[in-house]
Amino acid sequence: MHTDLAPAPGSTTIEIALKIWRYDAVTGDKELKRYEVEAPDWVTLLDVLDIIKDKHDGTLAYRKSCRMMICGSCGMRMDGAAVLACKTRMYDIAKSGHVPVISAMGNLPVRKDLVVDMEPFWDKIRRMKPWLDPGYEEPPEKEWRVSQEKMNVIHKEALCIMCGCCVSECNSMESDPEFFGPAALAKGMRFVGDARDQANVTRLEDYNDEHGIWDCTRCYFCNERCPKGVDPRDAIAKLGAESIKEGIDHDMGAKHAKWFVTSAKTTGWLRETELVPKTQGIVEAIKQTKFAIGLLKRGKVPPPIPPHVAERVNESRRLYSLVKEQGRDGALGIVQGEHALGRIEFTEQAGVKTSDPEVQPGVEPPPAEG
Amino acid sequence: MVEAKHDVLIVGAGCAGMRAAIEAHDAGADVALLSKIHPVRSHSGAAEGGINAALGNASEDSPEEHAYDTVKGSDYLGDQDAIEILCNEAPDDVYQLEHWGAVFSRTDDGRIAQRPFGAAGAPRTAYAADITGHVLVHVLYEQVMKRQIPAYEEFFAWKLVMNDDRCQGVIAWDLLDGGLKAIGAKTVILATGGAGRLYVGTTNAYACTGDGMALALRVGVPLKDMEMMQFHPTTLAPTGVLITEGCRGEGAYLLNSDGERFLKSYAPNAMELASRDVISRAEQTEIDEGRGINGNVLLDLRHLGAEKILERLHGTRELSMTFAGVDPIYEPIPVRPGSHYHMGGVDTDVWGLTSVEGLYAVGECACVSVHGANRLGGNALMETITFGKRVGRHAADWALANTTVEVPQSVEADAERELKALLDRQEGERPWSIRDELASSMHENFGVFRREDQMRKQGEIVEGLRERYERVIVDDKGDIFNTDLTQALELGFLLELAACMVPCGLERKESRGAHARPYDYPDRDDEQYLRHTLVTMRDGTPQVDWKPVTMTKWQPQERTY
Repeated sequence: MHTDLAPAPGSTTIEIALKIWRYDAVTGDKELKRYEVEAPDWVTLLDVLDIIKDKHDGTLAYRKSCRMMICGSCGMRMDGAAVLACKTRMYDIAKSGHVPVISAMGNLPVRKDLVVDMEPFWDKIRRMKPWLDPGYEEPPEKEWRVSQEKMNVIHKEALCIMCGCCVSECNSMESDPEFFGPAALAKGMRFVGDARDQANVTRLEDYNDEHGIWDCTRCYFCNERCPKGVDPRDAIAKLGAESIKEGIDHDMGAKHAKWFVTSAKTTGWLRETELVPKTQGIVEAIKQTKFAIGLLKRGKVPPPIPPHVAERVNESRRLYSLVKEQGRDGALGIVQGEHALGRIEFTEQAGVKTSDPEVQPGVEPPPAEG
Repeated sequence: MVEAKHDVLIVGAGCAGMRAAIEAHDAGADVALLSKIHPVRSHSGAAEGGINAALGNASEDSPEEHAYDTVKGSDYLGDQDAIEILCNEAPDDVYQLEHWGAVFSRTDDGRIAQRPFGAAGAPRTAYAADITGHVLVHVLYEQVMKRQIPAYEEFFAWKLVMNDDRCQGVIAWDLLDGGLKAIGAKTVILATGGAGRLYVGTTNAYACTGDGMALALRVGVPLKDMEMMQFHPTTLAPTGVLITEGCRGEGAYLLNSDGERFLKSYAPNAMELASRDVISRAEQTEIDEGRGINGNVLLDLRHLGAEKILERLHGTRELSMTFAGVDPIYEPIPVRPGSHYHMGGVDTDVWGLTSVEGLYAVGECACVSVHGANRLGGNALMETITFGKRVGRHAADWALANTTVEVPQSVEADAERELKALLDRQEGERPWSIRDELASSMHENFGVFRREDQMRKQGEIVEGLRERYERVIVDDKGDIFNTDLTQALELGFLLELAACMVPCGLERKESRGAHARPYDYPDRDDEQYLRHTLVTMRDGTPQVDWKPVTMTKWQPQERTY
């Protein structure tokens, strides 16, 4: 059972302190200001910002709208990690005595306080040509027939609310601001994976460009910080797999990945000595001979002969066949995973409660929002 | 100085606004969107359960049955010509969304899946799990990007430009850079959504402050059926976050503190799938009579099983875990009625045209009227799409046939002066307590059940708040992202709308749909009140008038579920 449930709304108040990085774009002044408020115990970070703006300082700037995790307005950082303010309940933080630091999202220019300029974000989204290209002359009279299984391939990518939290946290973008970034690439996968879209090869060629999918460093910060479970890094991995399947493997990153696969199905271990020539080419490999001999001497890589074959290489080969057999639908792994999780975690044997609801008549309702 | 001129300028960029923009663009017009938030942030995206069209994918269905259910659901206050248009055009409009790439859930044979919804005679609600609105907002924005339709993003529309008895543009505050900007247009379409922020405990976003309704009111356009505010039966305490009707569509139960499915006493046939007004009243009665739990009733999903909840109600689970601390796989969700949807709005014809030439309205801010006194779940998204398309086409055709746009200097100068007066004011009250008092008093006195004395009291409260608003001050005097200013302006809109709603409620001396007066007028009175209220402002005072309901095929009958 999930243990990270926030407490049910009660009727008590709590003292909450936080520090906010204020920024004035006109004067360029920056200041870390501390605020203390008393608030109902159910409040989120967004509610606290509202209280500060109402009762302490009307000049505080931040975006908000739906306050139910769907509009994507209120992305910001808490203690250096991107969050949706409306999703972040403050009870545990306040009770622990911690005073969190709130700041604007990363990798985007700050305009005022917690408001960033989203234009660079949208530029990258638009660059993906993010609209369905069904390649038809005349659409069918009714809907396209597509199975639920095929739609599930893009289930996670379609959840994206474009809040920018993943872009804020992207380490690749921090070193290369031109990197397409996790949100745009997830949007790209939303079309590459769509059974109705006919432009997947053109798209994949485009996404394999410089600053494209192979520039992701696989730090997984985007997956970790995405408030909606989109898992953009997984989308980038799927784009890589689709690219190679379509023979788009000119990038060094693609070649590198391919050699890992070859190693897995042949020897079960990574064949490091062949990795460099396969990825970077013979010329580059010769240049690195001295380095390779150094590694060999210190036992960092095994000698190429005899081949280093894993003891249970058949397992590795079976795994290879399974992934190949699943094809694109294998990408539905996450959705399948959720189903599997549902079955494992929530069966009656695992203790699903079926008793009547526990009720407590006569208890006063919590105060209305104010 | 006028920033730009367009054939069609659309204020608001949710489903209705974007659908109108696409249609107007495809008709050859120079079109632009203008919105105080980025288009994908629009509250259409928070619609969860689905969109109604008689596709017949889950069982036999027809547009006629859809229309009948809608007429009955409206408690016969809906205009039947508009309802027939909606239901006839709905199927093709949904196929169009699918062709654009909307990620609908699917049947076993790969067609668009449809689920049962309240007061519908067939499973008619096409859906994308429980994020249908999100999926539609994003597919429409994709089409807007494809067409490179320009958008004035984070522009707050403050005034309509009237010249030569025509609406010829908008004066807006530019949030990111500051300053008032005049944008000329041959036609202006208001698509700004609802005004749920009139109430505490609302499903509506902070952005839902009735801007378009107030803008129209200020240029003399009447608002229709403003007393008709829908209370959704399943919202989370304390802030009113929406739990979709799709839960009940999938089979969830509503229980009182005795663990009983109490709807057997109120809607014995439809039970949890009765119409929203009926269920909200039933819940409120249970709570008022002491069979609630902490001011809530319980929405029980447990018997649906983990797999169905995870697949089709994933977002609902996420919301109730985050905001109520309840995992619906294990525990029922505490829910209560909360303000959700304004059936009333700007009075328009079936092409969205208002009484002012060049000015249109569509979506929740409009009242065409397809929802009458009570909207059916799933009909709002459909209205935004079908009427968005129609309004976009009509506005484009009219604009392409008419040539001039002029924003008089004096209009801009007046706006500048008025804004400066507000920003320069040093002595007075900041808006938040007026806003909070408005929302809590509307909830108290103009809610699910209405009493004459409470409505009268509410009228006085609103007048008092309007007087206090005259002296409101803005803390932030800066140019960049000054939401302190725009929130103050939004409160001005809300106060005028509240002032319009209350007298309409008093004048309608009957119980119909969302307007329930069990203490003095418990029955529907078709003799006198089978007609719309119309309200205009004259020197700051609301004036109530009436307008006949358009009937085509269906005569009023007793309404039971």
